[in-house]
Amino acid sequence: MLIGFVVNPVAGMGGAIGLKGTDGAVEEAKQQGAVPVAPGRARMLLSLITPGVHTFLTAGGPMGEELFAEAGISAEVVYIPDGAETTGEDTRRACRAFVNRGCGLILFCGGDGTARDVFAVAGDTTPLLGVPSGVKMYSGIFAATPAAAADCINRLEEAVMTDAEVMDIDEVAYRDGRLAVTLTGIARSPALTGHLPSSKWATDTRHEARAQAEIARFITDIMRRDTLYLIGAGSTTAAVIQALGEEGTLLGIDAVFDGDIIARDLNEVGILQLLDKYPRVQAVVSPIGAQGFVLGRGTQQFSPVVVERIGPENFIVIATEAKLSRTSALYLDVGDPEISARFPDSLPVVCGYAMARRMPLIR
Amino acid sequence: MPLSPSYNPQTKEPIGPADLAPIFASELIRQEVSTERYIDIPSEVRDILTLWRPSPLYRARRLEKLLKTPAKIFYKYEGVSPPGSHKPNTAIAQAYYNMKDGIERIATETGAGQWGSSLAFATQLFDMECKVYMVRGSYDQKPYRKMMMQCWGADCIASPSPETNAGRAMLEKDPETSGSLGMAISEAVEDAASHTNTNYSLGWVLNHVCLHQSVIGLETLEQLKMAGEETADFVIGCAGGGSNFAGLAFPFIREKMAGRMPACQFIATEPSACPTLTKGLYAYDYGDVAGYTPIMQMYTLGHGFVPPSIHAGGLRYHGMAPLVSLLHHEGLVDAVSCHQNEVFAAAVAFCRSEGIIVAPESAHAIKTVMDVAAECSRTGDAKTIVFNCSGHGNFDLSSYEAYFAGALPDYEYPADLIAASLKDLPVIH
Repeated sequence: MLIGFVVNPVAGMGGAIGLKGTDGAVEEAKQQGAVPVAPGRARMLLSLITPGVHTFLTAGGPMGEELFAEAGISAEVVYIPDGAETTGEDTRRACRAFVNRGCGLILFCGGDGTARDVFAVAGDTTPLLGVPSGVKMYSGIFAATPAAAADCINRLEEAVMTDAEVMDIDEVAYRDGRLAVTLTGIARSPALTGHLPSSKWATDTRHEARAQAEIARFITDIMRRDTLYLIGAGSTTAAVIQALGEEGTLLGIDAVFDGDIIARDLNEVGILQLLDKYPRVQAVVSPIGAQGFVLGRGTQQFSPVVVERIGPENFIVIATEAKLSRTSALYLDVGDPEISARFPDSLPVVCGYAMARRMPLIR
Repeated sequence: MPLSPSYNPQTKEPIGPADLAPIFASELIRQEVSTERYIDIPSEVRDILTLWRPSPLYRARRLEKLLKTPAKIFYKYEGVSPPGSHKPNTAIAQAYYNMKDGIERIATETGAGQWGSSLAFATQLFDMECKVYMVRGSYDQKPYRKMMMQCWGADCIASPSPETNAGRAMLEKDPETSGSLGMAISEAVEDAASHTNTNYSLGWVLNHVCLHQSVIGLETLEQLKMAGEETADFVIGCAGGGSNFAGLAFPFIREKMAGRMPACQFIATEPSACPTLTKGLYAYDYGDVAGYTPIMQMYTLGHGFVPPSIHAGGLRYHGMAPLVSLLHHEGLVDAVSCHQNEVFAAAVAFCRSEGIIVAPESAHAIKTVMDVAAECSRTGDAKTIVFNCSGHGNFDLSSYEAYFAGALPDYEYPADLIAASLKDLPVIH
């Protein structure tokens, strides 16, 4: 496969000095003595890549060229950054060059900021895989480690293409101590599911859309009458709306009652108004991002008040097998420890028709 | 406690011998509806069974020591048969009765491959052909079972297959399905009905299958006495379609019902991913996906349910033997369900103490045995536990590999969600 590889050379610099991100703060990080993290991660990755399996494209200098040379792996440079200090714009331009050359996958070293830049070009057409090297990595497109990313690249023909969330963090707010994570898009990303011992078994989960449709068919079959359903966000929950014959809001929360969509892309106030009107409610949610947050990241509409009104027992969690293979547990951060404590220690996650996997829930 | 009648899937009338005649041997039909307490094993079948029967009953002393339990644990080991499980007990008898009827070819289905390899073994002993529809998930995962069938001369193909109408319809609906036993049964039944001189053979669920397996329990009762035990407190087996559980338990249930073992408890263990007895409905349902089989009263998760691809492929069945179902419904048989990781943990503990690498199906029984033994440790009761170690797992090592790699998902049936949705069904008075 033709793979584009780009490194954000300054990614991760802010972490060790507590900057919580390097977007617009490279100079400050440097002055405080921060050293780049991404090049080391990229070296680790390249040292584990099996040579000769794939063909690589990359960007000039510290954005990839130098690292490939060090590793002794050939790569064609298709973009050269202008100045000595690279920016997000350089990442985007490099990715545009990769896409123009018809690459089948973009591999990148960076954090959520880099992911956002890569996704801005690749969208949901060119698959992405992140090598974790940033300060914040909430997006679901990151492999767990550089070694895991290398393993995935070396065994790409065994990988399952999954939908993975790209998250956007307000860094100014974050440095202020406030976590404001929003879901900005759904990318495609390869994952090794691990638990399927033969290639044929992998066909059970090879097609994400098929798996999502199975889940959606089950959820629509067990939907109760006279019950308000709050559904979102993500591609798996959008598949539920699609199974009802409607278009769902990919990045937001929709409301369904007796099989019909009655509201789209709801905010907290909109949800509370519906809760006043409909006494019986269930919420259908899906884990979001690299950590598998069922609540508290990317869906701020499910505020503490909303979660309290719905009730922990009325949340149905859904996710494809491929998605679940990326995380060993689910996470919850409702924003109110008392409400979080009312959730059980583990949850059944619906992953097929009348099929669930029990996953530990970490608060 | 009469067994409810089964119904013809087309006419919806109670099924009689004539309905079964197109695909079953006459003596097997007679046995299916027989109310006789004992039916003799023909001498030709006994001659073959003596290759490995009586199978050994072991006292699991090392496991007891490992568990620090006062309980006495005995296990009947059926893995000593040539195909490595309890399945030949009925395969030999079924092949024999079909041979007596002049049948030259038998079609069947198999999940993990234990039944298919057993019938392949049995049919070649009587110079018959054998066609096996093997659930695709297992077919791909367990190539050595497939080769065993080949060694014994059977033709084994993955189900659903393009060779039958039922298979083609299923492939059209879902070309990448991993298959299920319900699907494979549909194919085998169709094969038998559409080929000359071909009968169908089922390795579980049906009454005559449970009858042939009861040799396990009858031997165990005798062997326990030889070991100085007059009674058992717990009789435990895994349950997929119910026949290995029935084989061990039924002779003990006879003893209990006769008042000779009043305290004996019976526990069937099933996977949480396919919890037919623990979460299913006691209702009339088809035995297969396509609706070719008789409609039977049993515990069921619905004939359209395709269980997740757990490694205990032999326990992936939506229904349960009507006899076992009735006994559970009447409160004589308890049921528990387990996740596959805890099941494999029990299997590893067993092989490291007793030496035998068991089949994932049998490991379900071991998990329950260990739970009961742990309770004995807590109470100090020296209970006698007997379980059916129904087969070895020498062809299931990839499953053990997945367990050691921490790559086994714990599937479960979302029973609460389904029960909640059923609450809204309209009530007609």
